[in-house]
Amino acid sequence: MASSDTITLRVNGAEHHLTTDGSRTLLSVLRTELGLTGTKYGCGTGHCGACTVLLDNEPVRSCALPVSAVGRSMVTTIEGLARPDGTLHLVQQAFVDEQAFQCGYCTPGAVLEAVALLRRTANPSVSAIKEAMAGHLCRCATYPRIIRAVQAAARKMAG
Amino acid sequence: MDESTTEKAGGLTRREFLGLTGGLLVSFSLPGAARRAYADEGESEDLNAWLHLGPDNRVTVFTGKVDMGQGTTTAFAQLAAEELTLPLAAVTMVMGEPDRVPYDEGTWGSMSMRDVGVRLRAAAAAAREALAEMAAERWGVAREAVVVKEGRVSLAADPTKSLTLGELTGGKRIERKLEGEPKLLPVEQHRIVGKPTPQLMSRDIVTGKQKFVGDLRPPDMLYGARLYPPCYGARLTSVDSSAAEKAPGTVKVVMDGEFVGVIGASQEAVAEGICQLKATWEEPEHPSMETLWDDFRRNPGNPRTASEEGSVEKALASGAHTFTATYRAPYVAHAPLEPHVALVHVKGKEATVYAAAQTPFPHRDEVAEALGFDPKNVHVFVPRVGGGFGGKAQCDVALVAARLSRAVERPVLVAQTRAEEFTWNYFKPAALIDIRSAVDESGQIIAWDCDIYNCGNRGAVPPYDLPNHRVRCFPCHSPLRQGAWRGLAGLYTTFAIESHMDELARATGQNPIAFRLRHAQGDKRLARTIQAVADAYGWPPKEKRPGLGIGVACAPDAGSYVAEIAEVEVGRETLRVKRVVVAHESGLVINPDGITNQIQGGIIMGLGPTLREEIRYERGRLLTNSFASYRIPTIHDTPEFKTVLVPNPDYPPKGAGEPALFPVAALVANAVFDATGVRVRELPLSGIGV
Repeated sequence: MASSDTITLRVNGAEHHLTTDGSRTLLSVLRTELGLTGTKYGCGTGHCGACTVLLDNEPVRSCALPVSAVGRSMVTTIEGLARPDGTLHLVQQAFVDEQAFQCGYCTPGAVLEAVALLRRTANPSVSAIKEAMAGHLCRCATYPRIIRAVQAAARKMAG
Repeated sequence: MDESTTEKAGGLTRREFLGLTGGLLVSFSLPGAARRAYADEGESEDLNAWLHLGPDNRVTVFTGKVDMGQGTTTAFAQLAAEELTLPLAAVTMVMGEPDRVPYDEGTWGSMSMRDVGVRLRAAAAAAREALAEMAAERWGVAREAVVVKEGRVSLAADPTKSLTLGELTGGKRIERKLEGEPKLLPVEQHRIVGKPTPQLMSRDIVTGKQKFVGDLRPPDMLYGARLYPPCYGARLTSVDSSAAEKAPGTVKVVMDGEFVGVIGASQEAVAEGICQLKATWEEPEHPSMETLWDDFRRNPGNPRTASEEGSVEKALASGAHTFTATYRAPYVAHAPLEPHVALVHVKGKEATVYAAAQTPFPHRDEVAEALGFDPKNVHVFVPRVGGGFGGKAQCDVALVAARLSRAVERPVLVAQTRAEEFTWNYFKPAALIDIRSAVDESGQIIAWDCDIYNCGNRGAVPPYDLPNHRVRCFPCHSPLRQGAWRGLAGLYTTFAIESHMDELARATGQNPIAFRLRHAQGDKRLARTIQAVADAYGWPPKEKRPGLGIGVACAPDAGSYVAEIAEVEVGRETLRVKRVVVAHESGLVINPDGITNQIQGGIIMGLGPTLREEIRYERGRLLTNSFASYRIPTIHDTPEFKTVLVPNPDYPPKGAGEPALFPVAALVANAVFDATGVRVRELPLSGIGV
């Protein structure tokens, strides 16, 4: 904890200059330094997916990523997904429409994983959806709805 | 209804907190155990939730229940809006906030709808009727001459004479106590109840705006953690805190008997501080899991009889065929995605507590007791809880935060790590269940003798016609800390009962649906639910191919009934639940989409202990302390679902958070038998090596 580094972090389109220990996790820095608490701690070991954010277009486990490793990549958190006018991203809207959550704690991570999946694959099969979402634990077990939400968002994106 | 005024003797002190300036306040009671007196606050003991209609035609419902994702915020609002003929958006829910809501012992047992929901619906109906009567009186007509629609009361003969419900209160404070059974709106007139309704906070959930306790950031907030022992039952013999105190992020090390905690500037600082504590412990002998079943039998304690009828011993002796079987199921964890977390700010003789908790009132009382404060000066708030499943009923983490905050008089957030979450909270009790039974020549069960060790009695009494039966529960001594888990013992007692029913059906050559129906003559709702699942599935199964097994199981719980049929695929080393057909009857359905979410989520959660989940321990150390070593269901475990909500709309709403989970273990075990001829009587089934 002793060291302090000067770090430039690009998050949700904005640039932040921080003085902090570069070995801290991206999760911790997002939640405490930037107040972006939509990204959740679930396990601290990359097993549950609750802390997922996008690094450019790649989903990463922010609980297992030192903030110094982010570099010039743009971090997208759940707070940066909707349009500035409040219009929800299609995946967010699909999660609402399908009610793909109960308690909602794991939802931000799952939504971002689904966004990344749909950027890679326009029309994923059910097994591709399961493969992509398998690292997102939902103890309320809303999995059937998560599958439906991803399918619905894919359909909307295809227009 | 009783009419009373706020000026009555004793006053309504806590209600003054509500800041309600006028309008109609209806208080209503809950039956049985949920009652509790707050005599010193001038409340009668049976006032357990409040409904307020303001002059602006807005409704506020006050209840001590909390929403952990069951969707009760939304369902309560639906009930209130429906009976008051108002839109859903007119309702504000105030939940789990002891300063502003009447006493509630906790959110568990699928009680929210069947207790509070039922009374809330009646209270809203009573409010509507009272206002209709006031309007009739004002206009000098009979009640029948006015109509209530869209939040307004109008004269039927002259619709220009019309006032909103709120306007009718005239800004006065009117208090009513719900008594008797007010007239409910006919189900056919429902606009909101019975319609799929998204959770009210959906937008906040998908945008990350929804605050959980760990997301709160009051000014001056610090972080805290406690030092946990290396194993169960270890006693602290010494601790050297000098290095921890010197660590750069440490604010304070708090030592109080066996309690040692670190307060720091960040979560990382606190973790580092805990690491730097040099503690020595005395580790007691602690049994390993291998001896668990023997230990239960060796020291069962005095049994309590859950139910007894006829003469079991005589009937067993006279049976044409008798059966004996033992079923076992391990300790399992709740594993909510949000680990236990509390934020406490102690200031002078007052404390503010934010807790991810199923028990706001016990939190108030226990924190008050620990700090020596008046409970009135402990203000508890429960924002959304990130999953509870019975695991967030205890106050441990809030008590840690309270002790730490008292030492610095600043807000202290204590958030358990995943390993702490897995290790130091209580588990669902392990179960050892013996059943002895007998059938007559015709294959009718004539004796059922069941001894249940350690796990308690929920779901222990079979719902069937059993003229001679005895069900006993032995308390045992649990080597691990144990407590409530979604449905309490239900998953395990139903595993034993419904596996055994399957064994009897198979042994006597009867099909599992017909066998259950034959023994469900005394319970029409049960029989109807079993028939509903059979019809939905298309029973009897047409297809019989190797590796495919079809299982049946059912259960009553929380005033509801559930019956399930599963198709599983068994390979050399794989066991997959492909499809589940479920029929669920829980009286009036308030939110069909919400209840379906609960049913399917409950079934998938039930697959965890059925297939894989098991707390493993050795000499007091838990070997399962991460999602890698304790594997909960993932999206790969999701079966295909067909879900039937068996209609019974004239029956009051019953519980739906837990029942669907009860049959799951038996359901899969029965399907495994169907596929392989192997009867597995021990969970999890992954150990079977089929």
